[in-house]
Amino acid sequence: MRSFTHFDAYSIEDTCTALGQYKGRAQLKAGGSDLLSILKGDFLPDYPEVIINIKTIPGLDYIKEDGDFLRIGALVRLIEMVRSPLLSHKYSVLVKAAHTVASPQIRNVATLGGNLCQDTRCWYYRYPRSMGGPLQCLRKGSGSCLAVKGDNRYHAIMGGKKCFAVCPSDMAVALACLDGRLIIAGPRGERNVAVADFFYPLGNDLAEDEMITEIEIPARRNPAQQNFLKFTLRKPIDFAIVSVASVISIEKGVCTDARIVLGAVAPFPVRVRAAEELLIGKPVSEEIVMSAADEALAGSKPLSKNAYKVQIAKTLVKRAVMGSTD
Amino acid sequence: MTRQEKKFSGSALEGKHHINLTVNGQLYELAIGTGAGKVNPSDTLSFTLRETLGLTGTKVSCDSGACGGCTVIMDGRAVLSCMLLSIECDEKEITTIEGLKNPKTGELDPLQQSFIDHTAFQCGFCTPGMIMSSKALLNDNPSPTEEEVKEALSGNFCRCISHYQIVRAVMAVSGKGK
Ligand SMILES: Cc1cc2nc3c(=O)[nH]c(=O)nc-3n(C[C@H](O)[C@H](O)[C@H](O)COP(=O)(O)OP(=O)(O)OC[C@H]3O[C@@H](n4cnc5c(N)ncnc54)[C@H](O)[C@@H]3O)c2cc1C
Ligand code: SF4
Ligand code: FES
Ligand code: FES
Repeated sequence: MRSFTHFDAYSIEDTCTALGQYKGRAQLKAGGSDLLSILKGDFLPDYPEVIINIKTIPGLDYIKEDGDFLRIGALVRLIEMVRSPLLSHKYSVLVKAAHTVASPQIRNVATLGGNLCQDTRCWYYRYPRSMGGPLQCLRKGSGSCLAVKGDNRYHAIMGGKKCFAVCPSDMAVALACLDGRLIIAGPRGERNVAVADFFYPLGNDLAEDEMITEIEIPARRNPAQQNFLKFTLRKPIDFAIVSVASVISIEKGVCTDARIVLGAVAPFPVRVRAAEELLIGKPVSEEIVMSAADEALAGSKPLSKNAYKVQIAKTLVKRAVMGSTD
Repeated sequence: MTRQEKKFSGSALEGKHHINLTVNGQLYELAIGTGAGKVNPSDTLSFTLRETLGLTGTKVSCDSGACGGCTVIMDGRAVLSCMLLSIECDEKEITTIEGLKNPKTGELDPLQQSFIDHTAFQCGFCTPGMIMSSKALLNDNPSPTEEEVKEALSGNFCRCISHYQIVRAVMAVSGKGK
């Protein structure tokens, strides 16, 4: 890894001020489980001059219910989410998603904020310098998308534009399913954005001098039936080929509320409202769930090598809604 | 712990001059900088352990967080030393494979002995990581089930397909105390 200057941050204000002053030459670091891979691979056009460790900012590691909201600090580690009794009781989709991320050792250091801000996993984008890279592409600001004509088996089947890489974050999918919003701090004060609107095909909504401080979720009165299913080649370590988060309320066999979000199919988590509407007010039968799954994928436009993801996504939707555990 | 304060018109971030690392019970005070014996801000913990402190028991295989070979225990948790910056390990307590034997008698930890008794390796490159992940589990939960052992080892890969023997070796000390 090439060298850099390293600072510890002690407040949100100082962090944002420093980010502004370095004008893109400083990079935040939380658990580092994504950032160190990027620095080691040395595949980006700019290498940071300064690394700002934000783990030293006090008071950003809470999980608490506060009136109408569940609030999770950006520095909460995924292991703490997996072990949280509050989350297991009422927000189990977050526990299930966190448990599928990477491996136990990574969950011990990886933070929720870092999970949401991790960079794309597109293999053209990440092709390391030491192996003859880096490769230029549209997301890096020059050339065209290499995945469109290349090997796009893990790329988007919907929502791609210019860049067809999928949002790699499992937590984003579960948070979008609970209507989560990100609280973002910057020199101009605080703002918030829905998790699903945070991601764009070419990156995310953060300005150069902003950071995520908290994730806010409308408090749930009843847990309903929450599920997170993730299809991978190997169970641990691997990123999702497709994932599905769902929160389904069923009363007397009839679906009274449904939220379904697809992951790893697009550059952002995809809430499939038409499929939800098909379910609401009807008895939960295999036939109706199958038609909801077809509806969820109705808008997909696979690339040359990833049509297989459509069928996997449909099957996961069906299993998630039916309450299967894998 | 000395800290150098940097001021950027109104913003204060701190850079470190040196770090205190406790490895296997021994305290090391290491200066930040370039040159022999110093810690560069970009040095990973696995690099510092192996190259600066000479503790080569910790192995580096993928160097990118994907194999578990470099696992050590930090403040009670299994972590990947290739994915941590040493400069951020100030005041941390670290246990490596070298720290498991009894320091007075030199006797191996029962878990290490169990790996030998079950021939839980072929080339042995994944073994320090496997043992450190298992040790972190056993410290937390001295009587894990087979499922819990598999879960705790799910981030450790073995190229030689010794997994079955490894799970048996850990299960043989499960519930046996220390
Ligand atoms: C082998 C391996 C497997 C993985 N598998 C998965 C997986 O299955 N699913 C998955 O979702 N992820 C996976 N990851 C990706 C990732 O490492 C983790 O998801 C992790 O949660 C990232 O968190 P971190 O705190 O370590 O982030 P860091 O590496 O510290 O940060 C990542 C990025 O986010 C920025 N950042 C961090 N915190 C903030 C903040 N509060 N505000 C603004 N920007 C911030 C940093 O500047 C950096 O650019 C995997 C990684 C590895 C190495
Ligand atoms: S999918 Fe995006 S990151 Fe990958 S090659 Fe195309 S533009 Fe680059
Ligand atoms: S060497 Fe650290 S995880 Fe592979
Ligand atoms: S014994 Fe060779 S990698 Fe595990």
